[in-house]
This record gives sequence, structure tokens and C-alpha cells, in this order.
Amino acid sequence: MSDVSAIKKVCVIGAGVMGAGIAAQVANAGIPVLLLDIVRDPADRDAVAKGAVARMLKTDPAPFMSAAAAKLVETGNIEDHLGRIAECDWVVEAIIERIDLKQDLYAKIEAVRRPGTAISSNTSTIPLDHLIAGRSEEFARDFLITHFFNPPRYMRLIEIVTGPKSDPALVARVEAFVDRAMGKTIVRAKDTPGFIANRIGTFWIQSGLNAAFDLGVTVEEADAIAGKPMGVPKTGIFALVDLVGVDLMPNLQKSLTSTLAPDDPYQAIAKASPLIEKMIADGYTGRKGKGGFYRLNRDGGGKRKEAIDLATGAYREAITVQPPRADLATLVATNAYAWAVLGPTLAYAASLVPSAADDLVAIDEAMKLGYNWKWGPFELIDKIGAARLAALMTEKGVPVPPLIALAGDRSFYRVEGTKQQYLGLDGAYHDVAVPEGVIRFEDLKRGQQPLLKNGSAALWDIGDGVVALEFTGKMNALDGEVMKIIGKAIPLVQASYKALIVYNDGTNFSAGANLGLALFALNIAAWGEVEKLVAGGQQAYKALKYAPFPVVSAPFGMAIGGGCEILLNSDAIQAHAETYTGLVEVGVGLIPGWGGCGEMIERWMENPALPKGPMPAPSKVFEIVSTATVSKSAAQARDYGFLRPSDGITMNRDRLLADTKAKALSLVDGYQPPKPPEFRLPGESGRVGMKMAAESFHKRGLATDYDLVVSDALAGVLTGGPADLVDVVTEKDMLKLEREAFMLRVRDPRTLARIETMLETGKPLRN
Amino acid sequence: MRNVVIAGYARSPFHLASKGALARVRPDDLAAQVVRGLIAKTGVEASDIEDIIVGCAFPEGEQGLNVARLIGLLADLPLSVGGMTVNRFCGSSMSAIHIAMGQIQIGAGEVFIAAGVESMSRVPMSGFNPLPNPTLAAKSAAYMGMGDTAENVATKYQITRADQEAFAVGSQQKAAAARASGKLVDEIVPIEAKAGTVSEDGTLRPDTSAEGLAGLKPAFSTEGSVTAGTASPLTDGASAVLVCSEDYARAHDLPILARIKSVAVSGCAPEIMGIGPVEASRKALSRGGIDGGQLDVVELNEAFASQAIACMKDLGLDPAKVNIDGGAIAIGHPLGATGARIVGKAASLLKREGGKYALATQCIGGGQGIATLLESVE
Repeated sequence: MSDVSAIKKVCVIGAGVMGAGIAAQVANAGIPVLLLDIVRDPADRDAVAKGAVARMLKTDPAPFMSAAAAKLVETGNIEDHLGRIAECDWVVEAIIERIDLKQDLYAKIEAVRRPGTAISSNTSTIPLDHLIAGRSEEFARDFLITHFFNPPRYMRLIEIVTGPKSDPALVARVEAFVDRAMGKTIVRAKDTPGFIANRIGTFWIQSGLNAAFDLGVTVEEADAIAGKPMGVPKTGIFALVDLVGVDLMPNLQKSLTSTLAPDDPYQAIAKASPLIEKMIADGYTGRKGKGGFYRLNRDGGGKRKEAIDLATGAYREAITVQPPRADLATLVATNAYAWAVLGPTLAYAASLVPSAADDLVAIDEAMKLGYNWKWGPFELIDKIGAARLAALMTEKGVPVPPLIALAGDRSFYRVEGTKQQYLGLDGAYHDVAVPEGVIRFEDLKRGQQPLLKNGSAALWDIGDGVVALEFTGKMNALDGEVMKIIGKAIPLVQASYKALIVYNDGTNFSAGANLGLALFALNIAAWGEVEKLVAGGQQAYKALKYAPFPVVSAPFGMAIGGGCEILLNSDAIQAHAETYTGLVEVGVGLIPGWGGCGEMIERWMENPALPKGPMPAPSKVFEIVSTATVSKSAAQARDYGFLRPSDGITMNRDRLLADTKAKALSLVDGYQPPKPPEFRLPGESGRVGMKMAAESFHKRGLATDYDLVVSDALAGVLTGGPADLVDVVTEKDMLKLEREAFMLRVRDPRTLARIETMLETGKPLRN
Repeated sequence: MRNVVIAGYARSPFHLASKGALARVRPDDLAAQVVRGLIAKTGVEASDIEDIIVGCAFPEGEQGLNVARLIGLLADLPLSVGGMTVNRFCGSSMSAIHIAMGQIQIGAGEVFIAAGVESMSRVPMSGFNPLPNPTLAAKSAAYMGMGDTAENVATKYQITRADQEAFAVGSQQKAAAARASGKLVDEIVPIEAKAGTVSEDGTLRPDTSAEGLAGLKPAFSTEGSVTAGTASPLTDGASAVLVCSEDYARAHDLPILARIKSVAVSGCAPEIMGIGPVEASRKALSRGGIDGGQLDVVELNEAFASQAIACMKDLGLDPAKVNIDGGAIAIGHPLGATGARIVGKAASLLKREGGKYALATQCIGGGQGIATLLESVE
């Protein structure tokens, strides 16, 4: 793969939601970016691009990963600053979807660009050969389509389309950048309308809408059937349309019907809906408007969730529908709506190889990453069985696509030895290709037994002398079983391996200690068991910290509470850019109990920017932990001190395992376990200072009564408990303080109430 | 006893802490520029200066290490000039003036610079290592937040939120009018910052309206009446006055602004520290042998509107004579710098507006008041 550092500066033209979001993601990669748009206000010629950046700073979820990233975006306008694209190695065009405007802009770009600068369009509909009409051979050589998904920071998919003239070396440079620096997973698409994800996605949504009207299914029923049972986010069809915008539907329809072949199956289902037209006219454009198929009715105070009656167009109280429990094959065979939304969509997807994608893997990847489907179309077919699906298609009058016929009794995917393979158009199986440098955990685990395993964790040999500790419990929660595996892993690694990483492939790294288990112990007043869990966790984490080999943790998604503390006790962290980590124990009336307090103070004491004296580091930690602050990115986790400056951030989730393993191996030579820290803490005086700060929050209504109690317990630990300013507080002392304060809080009924509420509602109780 | 006079006053522009134009200026550099400006403005012979006394409420970090000496060196004062840092929280630089006066009266020098500085951007209020004494914290309100004391005063003296807001609007209007008519130019020494010269206050909010203020949330207590709009803002700034014997000033033809008639400090309950000016002023007036009715000019620091109103009521002050060019709610309150500002301002106003007596007084965190009574030399 090409060197990622070939792209040192990027220009994004078009500061709409997509262009601005792409610029933000370039900045998140640490690369300066010039964001240009048209001149709308003669008094402030850069106002459009400036406004886009200002809006992004207020958008939640945030397009920027850090304040530092936001500063890397420089704004300007096309009239005055287009010449500056000569400074850039890649220009992304993301203006509105009008071919005349795009062609006009390309002519201007060609006049000022440096030869060899990559030019790409973020078009989602216009074919590449139309875009470059009238441009030189050189321009065509340097041109490609880079189709990002909204929002660019959070959607992992990028579809890349190249033309016959595109320069492979230049395309490789852009691909290296979007993959490694911007963290996107590349799916190569052919130059066909809507490419892959939106082509299938639009067909699927339209099928789902049509079928609900035709079959008299409510929107709630439709979403329950087309959601979870099919591995689709719970927004299903209707709530998804609300989310992306009801008004987008007619535009999408128009764009695809005008570019797809007349005999494309989509043409037959793309119907105008009088209800949708009326909703748009009335301002019911979805969540961004007054509501959509669902709305929150705030009349008369409070808010009631309502749904539209598809027959009458009137809103009524929303009903709760449980998703059907039948397996997918039974569901599509027996439920008319399930069939109507999925059957034709799977047939359509299967008909797009090789016209829209080279192989079926690309189609599955595109739907999983572009629409957040848990399974791609071909994985869904395998769940149903290709033969069974073909029979159903015949029965329901849907033509069986050649690829499904080709599969016959076979599945589209199989495992051969340790390799995953897919069915090619030649009727033979081929290895699923993995991008250069990517290591997949599932590939490593295939065909081997774990070194250790119990109900909550497993230990795997991942080669080159490295083992991986995997959490396997629900939500990757941590309990005594995890600690047992850690205890057994240490002598094992010491005897036969070089390093240990903490890694898994869940949705989140870890939700922290298993609260359900803890609640059970609390309800039977098994205090001894609870204390054992706390002490056992401390022991296991510190054993990891002082083990005679490097330990590297690889967080991604949520890594909170005890899931954060294991990071803090590792020698190094290699975090995915989307890491949301924090010590959130106070939310359930507790304080960090597995060494988090001391680790955080140590990190802040190492920070040269902090003033001297006993108070600044504990104060800073108090501020972060007493408010249960969770980082909104790995970059922010670094700002909060969860990550050290030497810890790594991986932009592409696919590369996290490889980067973590490499980091661990880089620490092996001459590895020395860390020396236990010694603290000089402010003692009782500091605790009083923190208490006063908490009380002022309380007075302002920002902290509850019990928050004061819990934050005081935390303050007691962070300031060293009974220690005096001149005493040396050891790490062991800190752990003891943590345990004692934890056990006091855990016996408080107000803590119990917080835990119960958290388990029942997923939300903190503000008692 | 020897007469002591204020023979010059200068200050930096005042700017909001953290977001203002002085946030990136070190406090020692800031004060040194003001001292240099004062010397240039008064024409005093620098080698005659005995000592530079600098008030600072949180003398640590860049304000630490006896910052007064460092300011003298930064201002290129002759090496013979001494330097002493004084801390009485908000009363620090007024105390610096009082100390200078005392030194002159015991024959320990003729000319002093009394200055004050606070960068609330660079040294946080309560410092980097607040370590309250647990025993004292348990038995007293010594460490109570200033906003809470302002709420206590509002409650105890029944100062309504509307009264506070009307007062704040008045302060903003007076400051805006003074600036618009060029009345603040003379006292301000332009400051060289990395991003350019700063020559105007950045604290004023001339558009403040009663309606606007009424929409603000209470800043310190959900049930409270004090808002960000009726409190002085966190501010960066420095100020300095030239304090010398009247004989010296006359012999060297220095521009005398006023004579110091009497001074006082007085403690009060920490939880209503805002009422501190009342007793301190009464003592100073009594020592000067006059009553409040004889005052022509009053500078009463507006830490909060609630306490300023309570003090005015208790002392029976004529609102028309108080803070003629606006007060700290509009101009700002860089803690250590305020005392020298209001004494210098009161002296300047006495000269500008005419009249016999002027009072400068302020409240002090922890429960104190301080006051300086000035008289005209005309």
C-alpha cells in the first residue's frame, strides 16, 4: 500500500453537511485542510465556509474529535482562494449534485491545480465519465470518485470508483489516506448509479415503505419486523426515513429513476406516495422538522410519542411492538411484510454482481458499513439458505438471480481450513481478501482453541509471541471470572510468550464491572463477596501492570468504569479514534475501585503543564471523575489524561488489532515493568477544598444531595485520606483508600437505588 | 505629621479574564508597563523612589516570588528602588497606599509607588493549591465563595434582584458615557501585548439592559438573585499611584491630585464580607473629622451590586456622587489592582469634578473593609 504521508494537505470544495464533515475528518487525522465554498456575502466572502465550521462546533455528535482538530480547518471561498489548491495533494469536490456546476468547477480546478494532485468527487449519483467530460487526459488520470457516508466521521464506509483512465498509483495514495488517516473502510464500486450501498438501500427502503402501505402494516410493526430480526438498526425503515429526512425520498427516487436502466427492478417500485408528499408539504420532514412517521407531541406539556396512521395520515399514540422471535428463514417464509421488505431486496442485491460490485463481499461490506446492517445481503441469504430462498422466490413470483441459482445448495460463505471464503461468479470459492496490514481477530481464532477460557474471558495466541485477552461476557462486562483469567494468564505469558494485549471485537470494549452481579451480591448483603471483587480486581490489574512483559490495551467504543481502569493499568494504550472512555462510577454512587484513582493522579502529576504543588493533579482528577466525564474521542481521552502522550491512536477500526500487536511487540526489547508511583497529596485540607467546590455546584443545582456524599468519598481518596502533606502515600495506600471508600458507599441504600435504576433504565438516578 | 498626597494615577485597560486581550500578558509585564507609564506621566525622578509596593490577591505563579521587586526590575527602575508585595485580597493595593503613607510619616522615604496587579486569566482565584484549614472551615465562613456572600448580603439587606439589575445597568451606562466622552483616556496606559497594543477597556457592556439582565440565570445559587450581570467580572488589569510627601510633591512640581486625610480597615463577618466598607468608611470619616454628607466624590468598589447598594444605604451616600464614571461591574475587578484604581480614580475625580472630600472604599473576601479619605489640596 502507498505511503499515507503522501497527502500533507487537503482541500475540500463545498461546505455543506458532507463537505464540511469530510474536512473535519481530514482535520481529525491531523492534516490541515482548506474548506472553500461560494461567495454569498460580499462583506464576508468566506462566510459560507466559516458558518459551516461554526455549525460543526455546535453539532452533536461532534464532527470534530478535538479542539485541536477544529483549528486545522482553514476557510476560504472559491473565487479568491481556488488557486491555493496548488498547495494541496488532494482536492475533494463536495458541491451540490448538479453536473453543470461540477463540470464548471473542474474546468477552474484544472486551470490552477498542480499536476498530480488527486481530484475526487463526493458525488453519490453522477457517473464518473460524465463528470470528466471535456477535461484533459491528465485530469482524467488524476480523477476518481470518493463517496463518503453521512456523517463522515462516524460512518466507516467509503465507496471508491475509478475510471479506466485513473492512475492506479494516485488512486493508491488516496486509498492509503482515506483508509489509514481518515479511518474509512474502502469498498470498490463500479461506475453505476447510486454505486452499491445507496442503490440497495434505496431499493430496500422503497420496498419497506410500499409494503407497509400495501399490506396495511403499521409503522411500528414494520420497524419491529424490518429491524432487529434482520440485523438492521432498530430504526428499521420508517424511523430511518425520519432520521435521514422524509423530504430526501422523492429526490433520491428522481435521481435513481432518471439514471438507472428502464428495466431496472427499482423503476417498478419507485412510486410517488401522496402521504409522503403531504407530510413534506406540511413540514413533517422527519426529525429535523416537525416529526415524520413518528413525532413527539408536546401539546399540553410533557411529550408523547405518536406515529402516523398510514391509511388516514392522522397521528395517533405510538404502540410498542415486540420484534418477532422466529428465525429469519421462518420469518420471511411466514410473514408477508418480512418477505416483502427482504425478499426482493436480496434478489436485487444478488443481481448487482458484477455490474455494480466485483464480488458479493463488497456488497455485504457496503451494507454493513454504510447502513449499519449487522449482516450483509449475502450473509442474510446464508442465514435463510440460498436454496430455500430460491424456492421462496419462485413461489412468490420473484425471478431468481443467476448468482443465487449458482449457489444452489451451497452457501455464499464458507470456512476452508482457517480461511473464510466466498462464492465467486465462476462457481468456485475464493479467499476473502484482507487489506494489507489488517489482522482480523476472527481469522486468528478460526481453527484454534483458546489458551484459557471461562464464561467471561478468553486468552488467545495471536502469533509472534503475543497473546490477546478477550472479554466475552454480555457487554464485555468485567467480573471475578475475568480477573481469574488475568491471574492465570500472567504466569502463562511469562513462561511462553512476549507480550499481552487486551482486545476484543465487540460493539464496545467494555461497559465496566458487571453491575447486575454486584446488585445480586448487594441485595443479599454479601459484603465479603463485594469486597473480594474489589480487592480481586485491584490485584489482577496491578499484576498486569507489574507483569514482566508489556501489556497493551486496545479500547474502542465505550470503555468505561472498570473498562477504563484496565487501560490505565496497562503499559500502553492503542486506542481506536472513536473511544469513549471515562471513570463513571459516581453515576451509580460508587468511586473507581480498581486502581483508577491513583493511576489518574499519576498521569496528571506527569503533565508538565500543570502548576506545582499537591493540589493541581488531584483537583484535575476530581473535576473529571466527580462529574463522570467520558471522552467523546480518543483525542479527547488524551486531553483528559486517560491516554498518555506516548499512547497511540488508530483511525481505522480494521487496523486496531494489528497496531496494538505492533505496539506490544515494540515494547518487548529491554522491557522493564514500571516502578510503583509515590504520591505527595494534600490530605484533609485538599478534601475540604474539593468539598467546597462540590457544594458550589450543589447550590447552583448542578449536583444532587447524594452527589455531595459520593464526591466527598472520591475527594477523600484523591487527597490521600488521613495522609499529611509531608507524608509519602504509596500506591498500596491508595488502593486501600479506594477499597475502604468503595465499601462505605456500596452499603449506602442510595447507591443501591442508583445501581437498580441504571440496570432498569440505563440512565443514572439523580438522588 | 507630614502630609501625604496622591501625585499621579495610571492603570492598564481592564479586560475579561481568559477571553480578553490581556489574557496572554504576564501580570508582571502588565504591571511593569503601568509603572513605567506612571513615571512618564508624572515626571517623577525615578531615583527618588524609595520603594514599590504592589498589592496582589493571589501572589503565586507569575505573580509570585515577590512580584513587586520583579516589576521594578522589569520597569527598569533604578536598582536602589526596593520592592514589597502586599496581600489583603481585594484591598491589597489600597493597603499598599496606606503602607506608603505610613512609611512617609515615619520618615522612611519621600516617594513611593503603590501599585496593584491581578491576572485572573493566569492565576486562578483561590490559587493553584487551595488548602483550607479543615478546623477553620468547619467553624467559620472564612472560605465561603464570594458569590455566596453576595447572596447573603442581598437577603439580609433585602436588596431585590431588580434593584441589583438597575444598579448594574447604571454602572454600565456611566462607564459607557465616560468612555464615549474620552474621560477614561488619561488614566489608561496602553499595553503592548503579543497581538498588538491594547489601549481600551474590554470589559464594558454598553448595551446592557434591564430586560437582558432579567433573563440571566442566578450564577451562584438556584434560588439566588445574583447573576453574572450583577457581579463584577473576572478581570485582568494593573494599576498604580504615586504616593509622596506633600513637601516633595510641591518641591518637584508634581501634579498633586489629592491629599490623604485618613485611612482605616475594619473586619466583619466573613459571610457578609460585602458590607465591610461600612465600618471601614465610618472609621476613616471619623478619623478625618467629617461625616458622609460632606463627601463630594465616592468610589465604592462594586464587587457585587447587592453589597454596593447595601453599603450605600447604610452609609447614607448620595448615589449621584458614587462611581461617577461607572464601577467594577462595568469596568472590572482585577482583585489586587482595584484598591489603587479606586483611590487614584477618587483623587482624579476630586480634581476633575471639584469639591472638598472624596472617599474610596471596598469590601474584602474573608470579611473586611478598607477605606481611604482624600481631601482636595486646592
